Amino acid sequence: MNDRLRPVMLEQAVQDARKPRRPLLARRYALEIRQQLAWYWQASIIGLALLVGLGLSAAILVAAGVPAGELLNEFVVLTVFDLQSLKAVLFQASPMILVGLAGCMAFRARFWNLGLEGQMIWGAIGATAISLFQIGPEALRLPLMFGAAVVCGLAWAVAPVLLKLRLSVNEIISTLMLNYLALNFLLHLLYGSWKDPRSSFPYSPQFQPFERLPDVLDGISAAVPLAVVVALLALWFLGLSRAGLYLRFVDANPRVAGAVGVPVRRMIVATVLLSGAMAGIAGFLVTAGQEGRLTQSFYQGYGFSGILIAFLARNNPIAALVVALLMAMLFVAGRSLQVFYQIPFSMVQLIQAILVICVASSDFFIRHRIRRVQGGES
Amino acid sequence: MSTLNAIQLTGVSKSFDGFMALAQADFTAKWGEVHALLGENGAGKSSLMNIAAGLYAPESGSLFIDDNPVRLSGPRDASRYRIGMVHQHFKLVKPFSVAENILLGLPEQPGNAVRGSHRQRLRALEARIGEKAAELGFAIDPCQATESLSVAEQQRVEILKVLLAGARILILDEPTAVLTDQEAERLLETVRSFARQGAAVILVTHKMSDVKRFADRVTVMRGGRTIQTLDPQSVSIAELVRLTVGESATTHAHQPGTPGEERLRVRGLRSPEVGGHRVLNGIDLSLRAGEIYGIAGVGGNGQSELANALMGLPEPTEGDIELIGFGDLRRASSEQRRALRIACIPADRYGTALAGELSVAENFGVGQIHGGRYGSFFRLRRKRLEEDAAAAIAGFDVQGVRSLKQKAALLSGGNAQKLVIAREFSREPQLVLVHSPSRGLDVRATAAVHGRLRTARDAGAAVLVISEDLDEVLALADRIGVMNAGRIVAEFPHPADRQAIGKAMVTHE
Amino acid sequence: MDMIANWLGNTPDFAVPFALAALGLILTERAGVLALGAEGLMLVGALAGIGAQLAYGTPGVSLLLAMAAASVVSLLFALMVIVLRINQVIAGLALVFFCQGLTGLLGTLLEWTNKPVRGLGAIELWPLSELPLIGKVFVQNPLVFLTPLIFLAVVWLLTRTTTGLRLRAVGENPQAADAAGISVLGYRLVAILAGSALIGLAGGYISVLSTKLWIADMTGGRGWIAVALVIFARWSPWKALAGALLFGCIEALIPQLAAAGIRLPQYFVLMTPYAVTLAVMIWVASGKQVSGSQPGALGVPFIREERR
Repeated sequence: MNDRLRPVMLEQAVQDARKPRRPLLARRYALEIRQQLAWYWQASIIGLALLVGLGLSAAILVAAGVPAGELLNEFVVLTVFDLQSLKAVLFQASPMILVGLAGCMAFRARFWNLGLEGQMIWGAIGATAISLFQIGPEALRLPLMFGAAVVCGLAWAVAPVLLKLRLSVNEIISTLMLNYLALNFLLHLLYGSWKDPRSSFPYSPQFQPFERLPDVLDGISAAVPLAVVVALLALWFLGLSRAGLYLRFVDANPRVAGAVGVPVRRMIVATVLLSGAMAGIAGFLVTAGQEGRLTQSFYQGYGFSGILIAFLARNNPIAALVVALLMAMLFVAGRSLQVFYQIPFSMVQLIQAILVICVASSDFFIRHRIRRVQGGES
Repeated sequence: MSTLNAIQLTGVSKSFDGFMALAQADFTAKWGEVHALLGENGAGKSSLMNIAAGLYAPESGSLFIDDNPVRLSGPRDASRYRIGMVHQHFKLVKPFSVAENILLGLPEQPGNAVRGSHRQRLRALEARIGEKAAELGFAIDPCQATESLSVAEQQRVEILKVLLAGARILILDEPTAVLTDQEAERLLETVRSFARQGAAVILVTHKMSDVKRFADRVTVMRGGRTIQTLDPQSVSIAELVRLTVGESATTHAHQPGTPGEERLRVRGLRSPEVGGHRVLNGIDLSLRAGEIYGIAGVGGNGQSELANALMGLPEPTEGDIELIGFGDLRRASSEQRRALRIACIPADRYGTALAGELSVAENFGVGQIHGGRYGSFFRLRRKRLEEDAAAAIAGFDVQGVRSLKQKAALLSGGNAQKLVIAREFSREPQLVLVHSPSRGLDVRATAAVHGRLRTARDAGAAVLVISEDLDEVLALADRIGVMNAGRIVAEFPHPADRQAIGKAMVTHE
Repeated sequence: MDMIANWLGNTPDFAVPFALAALGLILTERAGVLALGAEGLMLVGALAGIGAQLAYGTPGVSLLLAMAAASVVSLLFALMVIVLRINQVIAGLALVFFCQGLTGLLGTLLEWTNKPVRGLGAIELWPLSELPLIGKVFVQNPLVFLTPLIFLAVVWLLTRTTTGLRLRAVGENPQAADAAGISVLGYRLVAILAGSALIGLAGGYISVLSTKLWIADMTGGRGWIAVALVIFARWSPWKALAGALLFGCIEALIPQLAAAGIRLPQYFVLMTPYAVTLAVMIWVASGKQVSGSQPGALGVPFIREERR
């Protein structure tokens, strides 16, 4: 037996313990969890975080070559105070609102639906199929396309939610994998049988005029009121119905929810399917509203935007409307930056990520309290 | 016992999110003594000792070791000052072996600086563990995974861990709570002899008998303050009770019920076999209307699993649970259970009964929402829900509710439990299933909860109380079943012989 | 025959990125940090590798810079999950999106897109390389041969050292580790940095050694597949290596099929890695539940003064 391994002798130990030691640095601050903070403090913290995020984004834009003086012009003046751009923003906002609501729905059921893009693609494929195969009379064509988008988007969400509930397959991975499957299927169609015979580009034939969303008011597409109606329905579902209370329990603690009589599984399935359906509608709005045909990249950026909107809006449908509008502004401005300053569209995604990081970080100050404490010695 | 102070805490204060856990507490332990720290749940005992062990930083106050002021910036510092704490919830890494767990806590001091590869260090440490265990009379295999050890064995590992790390000031937080009487006795003998060799032992407990039998001095805590330090031999148990509780606690005399027809029948309830062992191993019991049936036993003998199975929480079981007039209770959906007027009061309040993030009103209202009292599926009648909630909160004396929209997490333990009862009892229950109803509650709240259970019984409900607190079972039950190793090993009608129950709890076949 | 020889020979090249990324993830997750950001960090590694390769042309340096870049970016993730205690799922997703945006932007602004670079020559492991049919497996770039050694080193670190024991303790039960005087946050930080370096190396491998050029979003979900791989390998490095080989086989088969003139719908063939990932996840989940090997505190932020 090694000498060093001998148990420390008793007297030695007592003596050691009695030896005066250099006082050690004490922790001066301690971190605690805070249960409640007044709403105005919460709001100011989040507001501050958004400002920090916007500041950082502005700095990056300037570094990328946008003249500092033009920033306000590009992002605010030319998007909101210019009638044409304002219409573009509203137009852009409608699918944003829908993916944002889809995100809110799924997150309320504690389901990380990263499959918004896949569900959108399927919604668009469904709507295009109705147009392509000329199903139904002209007058009913648009409602049929809408219905097909709902069904297809919803169907693409069935597998991940059932897999999660039955086999506890991680939905983040499964929904993402399904996105790649949907995308490849879309390309298969666009480079194959659904290709527009009149051109060599990979997109479907142009929709007929009656297959496109009409303008309702002086150049404002029907997509806008449609999105608002869906938002109101979501608000009713989450806020005013019994389902909303059930979902709040599922969100807060699924175990408690089950124990107090909430039909947890049914609620999760229903909510996730609704989320898929909304993403499907978003796909319909982009194809039948903006593009007028099925294209190969129409969905890009919406998946993350949906998650971001739901996160920033704290899963609240009304807040989601507002955030979606802001995101639409960002998108419109991003496109014009692309044109005028050759700034890649990735910039928009980077700005979005920075905003998420800033707001998520601000949560720390809402949930925690940092207190000055003193060590053992006064 | 020497007269030298080993560890001294003066004027220590600490608060958690506005809740004052410690207010100017003072505490001194001397070398060579077993010093008991006595108090109710929530009196601040664990918080004070967590400060002594370097885990919490105090807001004010001083710490002296050997009359020298010191500061602790973390558990590592505490270990340097030879302070070792065995926590109530063991701090063991489950999949690791005993030796690996002990290696983690070994400070890098000259005495412990074992050279060589990781393997060699482990081997050497295993030998040391063997020696030390033999010295203390523990039978421990250092290579065994800690997750396969019994609770008592895990505790021994914790003690070995702090002693091998060189602790001379040993803090034990509620060490006997999870042990049988015999195991507890052996443990306390061991630590007493450790103190006799010159170390300082601090025994955190709420059991008067442990204090009377094993402590040289006792400090009583109440509401975050240290009330008094005295010699346990010079005071009566009644006096110690008065000091800890602060008022003369009236222990309710048992009032018998009038049992009616059978309402719940459990036959041969078993868990699936895992490694040749069944957590529930053939439970038989019968519960009648108008009686309280108490299940006593040492924790970890299948109580939680039985409670889960009965309360409709996920728990795989075979055998019968028959609700008379309905059939297999496990088949009932949670909505049906509500319609059958089955009330559940689980042990884990914020894990299974209340959603802490949601409001008091929502937590109350969800109990009756299925019946349509608060509108159809498409509409929620918030106003009516809030009126009902307000009435129930007043009726069941839930205090600390500033607003119905307040988060349930902000309620104290007792009031949270009252809120659960208010919800579960809002539709006169016919079957009440209760697990550890007074865990973490003060004397007054416990009395209120017990009163509610008796009222429900007198109104004709069948009440099943599962509790690891024998006093609670004795105070409530008309019949007592003793649970041991996954089955009911004995049944006692009221009035039951405490000794006989205690024996049935710890006897192994 | 030739096709099979080529297929087998190409498999290691496709398997290495999966293997390295999965190993990096295991290292991070064994410390209790849920690392969903692999897809993003791989992109950072890939872009940094190409940038360095365009500037210096030394693959060794480029790969080291790829590792360093991923580590630096992972500091942001560490800040989010360790210091600010943000939900680790949100932090991981935010990291992926941040990296996608950042690399897309930089790749275009710096004009590194679609510029081919010179990779690294192959080494023949004579005499194994002369074997019939499987000979081509032993003609690979040096990093392929290095990969098993990296695995050995990490496994040795995790299971045979006190440092590894502490790291796993932090992931299994941070409260216990803290009470034992181990710096939970310190170990987690180091695990994130080291794991991210490996993930960055995987990304650098793809761009510098495999495709030899940069395209935005070029990892195409491989980071996510690696995340799934770690789940069904139950956080065991050797099982992850086996899984990586499986995915390597599948990816290597795709070009072989085309070369052999087998006519299959192209986009359905491209779906296979994702479909296989889904299928394996379902298969593993419907089999016998092997729990316990998941780090006990995976995804749970640590705070000492939490009142329970």
